[in-house]
Amino acid sequence: MLPPPMRSIVHRLLSRPLRLPAILGPRPRPGDPQIFRFNSEREQIIAEVVRRTEEYFAADPKRLMYALNEAGHAEIRRLSAQGDAEADQALGSWRRLVKRLGKMSHEERTESLRAISRGMAEDIAGNFDARVYKLATRLIPGVLTAVMNPMGLPNQLLAGGFSQLDALISAEGPLDKLRRLAQIGTLVLVPTHSSNLDSVALGYVLMRENLPPVVYGAGKNLFSNPLISFFMHNLGAYRVDRRVSAVLYKEALKTYSCLMIERGYHSLFFPGGTRSRSNMIERKLKLGLAGTAVEAFSRNQARGLHRPVFFVPATLNYALVLEAETLIEDHLKGAGQARYIIDDDEFSRVDRVYAFMTKLVTLRSALVVRFGDAMDPFCNPVDDEGRSIAPSGQPVDPGSYVSRRGVATVDPARDAGYTRELGDAIARVYQRETVIIWTQLVAHVLYRHLVFATPELDLFSRQRRRGEVAMPRDQLVREVAEARDRLLFAEAEGRVRVGPVLRSQSPERIVSEALSAWRDYHTKIVAREVGDDVLIEDPNLLLFYQNRLLPWAEELATEETLAAARSIVNQGGKA
Amino acid sequence: MSAPPIGIIGGGNFGWGLAHAVERAGREALLWSRRPQRAGTEHIELVSGPGALAAAELIFFAVPSPYVATIARELGVHLDGGHFLVHISRGVVGDDLLGLTQVLRSETPCRRVGALAGPLVADALITGAPSGGVVASRFPEVRAAVREALGGPALRLYSTDDVTGAEFASTAVGLFATAIGFAQGHGLGPAAQAMLATRAMAEAARIGVVLGGKHETFMGLAGFGDLLAAVAGDDRPELAIGRAIAENQPLEQIGSIGGTYFEGLESAGRIAAYTRRVKLHAPVITLCAAAFAREIPAEEAVAALMSREVGEE
Repeated sequence: MLPPPMRSIVHRLLSRPLRLPAILGPRPRPGDPQIFRFNSEREQIIAEVVRRTEEYFAADPKRLMYALNEAGHAEIRRLSAQGDAEADQALGSWRRLVKRLGKMSHEERTESLRAISRGMAEDIAGNFDARVYKLATRLIPGVLTAVMNPMGLPNQLLAGGFSQLDALISAEGPLDKLRRLAQIGTLVLVPTHSSNLDSVALGYVLMRENLPPVVYGAGKNLFSNPLISFFMHNLGAYRVDRRVSAVLYKEALKTYSCLMIERGYHSLFFPGGTRSRSNMIERKLKLGLAGTAVEAFSRNQARGLHRPVFFVPATLNYALVLEAETLIEDHLKGAGQARYIIDDDEFSRVDRVYAFMTKLVTLRSALVVRFGDAMDPFCNPVDDEGRSIAPSGQPVDPGSYVSRRGVATVDPARDAGYTRELGDAIARVYQRETVIIWTQLVAHVLYRHLVFATPELDLFSRQRRRGEVAMPRDQLVREVAEARDRLLFAEAEGRVRVGPVLRSQSPERIVSEALSAWRDYHTKIVAREVGDDVLIEDPNLLLFYQNRLLPWAEELATEETLAAARSIVNQGGKA
Repeated sequence: MSAPPIGIIGGGNFGWGLAHAVERAGREALLWSRRPQRAGTEHIELVSGPGALAAAELIFFAVPSPYVATIARELGVHLDGGHFLVHISRGVVGDDLLGLTQVLRSETPCRRVGALAGPLVADALITGAPSGGVVASRFPEVRAAVREALGGPALRLYSTDDVTGAEFASTAVGLFATAIGFAQGHGLGPAAQAMLATRAMAEAARIGVVLGGKHETFMGLAGFGDLLAAVAGDDRPELAIGRAIAENQPLEQIGSIGGTYFEGLESAGRIAAYTRRVKLHAPVITLCAAAFAREIPAEEAVAALMSREVGEE
């Protein structure tokens, strides 16, 4: 047999997560979040994933046969297309399995299932190293600040803090209550998804706000960078390979996620699935893996463990989105068939990340993370003590939702119903807890003007009008001021949030800063000042940033601009 | 463990019809009504307050839609997540045309909710004449519980998870049955009535899909099935109401026909406003709303319907 090619060895070294030696690792202390105990439970969790997968598939010979066949054919198809050294190695064993499957006994098939699901569970399962966590807590603010603004680092160190990063990312919402709830039950964080930076930014905010770390199912593409892979892997993230479509894999993944919540690991899921291509607030949420939290709660109840689960919706509101150019292009190109996995966007390009970070650091509140109020898996609000509260204001037993005639049961069909309801409820919270950022409002007013000036055009014709429509700067400032007043009114009624910069700065300054922020980060000119006018250069990016405001477009409009606002709403589209 | 009793709210014909169906299915019914109008039976117990219904697992709401929220609030304090709530109302609430399951969810701690729709009429439930309907819920347990509580050789209950579609179809059928009564009152024949019914249902399906429902629900028992029963003359009040509107009878007089009129009128106006807001083409519903509210003369509404441009089906 020939030795594996050099490329394959390098690939294996880089993609196989690196771990520190287990000896000399600190022991978890009482009161530490559950994740500090992960390594001692890891093997049990993997074994339980294998056991439950076997229990589900092997109970029915037909289901077992189908699952193995389906996994075999799906993997052969995928690996053949992948065509690298890693694929070649795996391809052989899948082909052998498919070939022999018909002649195997039920026991042999069960044994194959066990081996496959163990391999899958091993690949999925993360690792948690308290030393890496402590390193990260000290390192990340410094690294982020250094990357963003190397000149500022010595001052930060002398000042003994990282105030710049603190000003850059603001966190809002019932943080005290969330800290308390984290002690009482299991948090399931379900934020909106705009960028691959979301999980990093959230991890930082949780750390800074003294909230516990969360486990997170990260796309395998995020593990391709060895440094990110090292941190991700050792901070409890588990790997989700979206290329694998086999039912067996999805079942193993769901079981793993369910088990983590059952065992009290605070978790993070992006219920929208992928990043919002259009930048619209996500409306139709399938929840995906987050749905396993309902099953986890039921399973605990059924065995008499009354540990509450708290869903915490959150919105991530960026002044600039790292991958904006790729995402909106994908949205317009795809028209509903956008690529599920994009691996060639700005996130994968160091120069774009650097340009993004260096621009971001000059802004205040460039990212506002807004946490909504926690709810139980049945959409009831919870009070400070973690009790579920009914509409009457009285506490209600969450266990009653998974019980029939007083007996708690595990019922996937019922829990699927609750999951759908949760998706609707979280989407409603997203809208209410969206924080409107100044770049979005300026983009909206400019885009509305473009629509106003080109009423006869359809979406795609309009997007091609580059450098053709100008808006007098005075008018832009005036309309931004009017729209902000209306947003503040909507905020007073509890229907939206207004970001700190948008609230406090003069409209004149907001317009200047938006134009400057886009100019300094995006490779394309979004809009530029020409004499007393602002010329619209890139309708695509304007559309992207303004899409966040879609639910309020009509109420932000004046009588004169109402038709244009309606037209924007009606051109709508998928998030 | 013996099966728990079935709760019923509402002492109108439908409430009693459900109670008798429960009795026929071999279960105990607890009926709560401020005006029960009749005496209980061996298996139908009249209870004096909502608290007594907590003993049931499944509770039916057989009251007109405007009363559902208040009663649900009153009942909600006695319930928890283990109760199933199912309504039979033909109405939508709010500017966004929310179905009443949404009201049940927001006013009570219950989440396992559903709606009973289709060509079920009170008389058939009371007498046990062959009949059927569709139970809509996102929860299979609720669908099964309703079938167990009511179903039998004379009552075929199908099920769907399309709650939004079933609730809106049911509301739309109430409206269209009134419109057909209206058309009959103007002497329009079967062909015109069929056109009206078909085009109206196509409109309802378009709106239902925008609301999140499925098109096929409108083609099933909750939609066309229900409307066919109305046209075939199952003595529901909407047809008589439609005819009374056509005869220009005073609104107060029409209101006493069946108690459903004001619900239909409100629903028509609300649906028409919604279609204007979201820019959906809904000429039949818009005309119905205007005619029912007496904003345009009845003759004009009929003429406008017949003179509409004919397009592709």
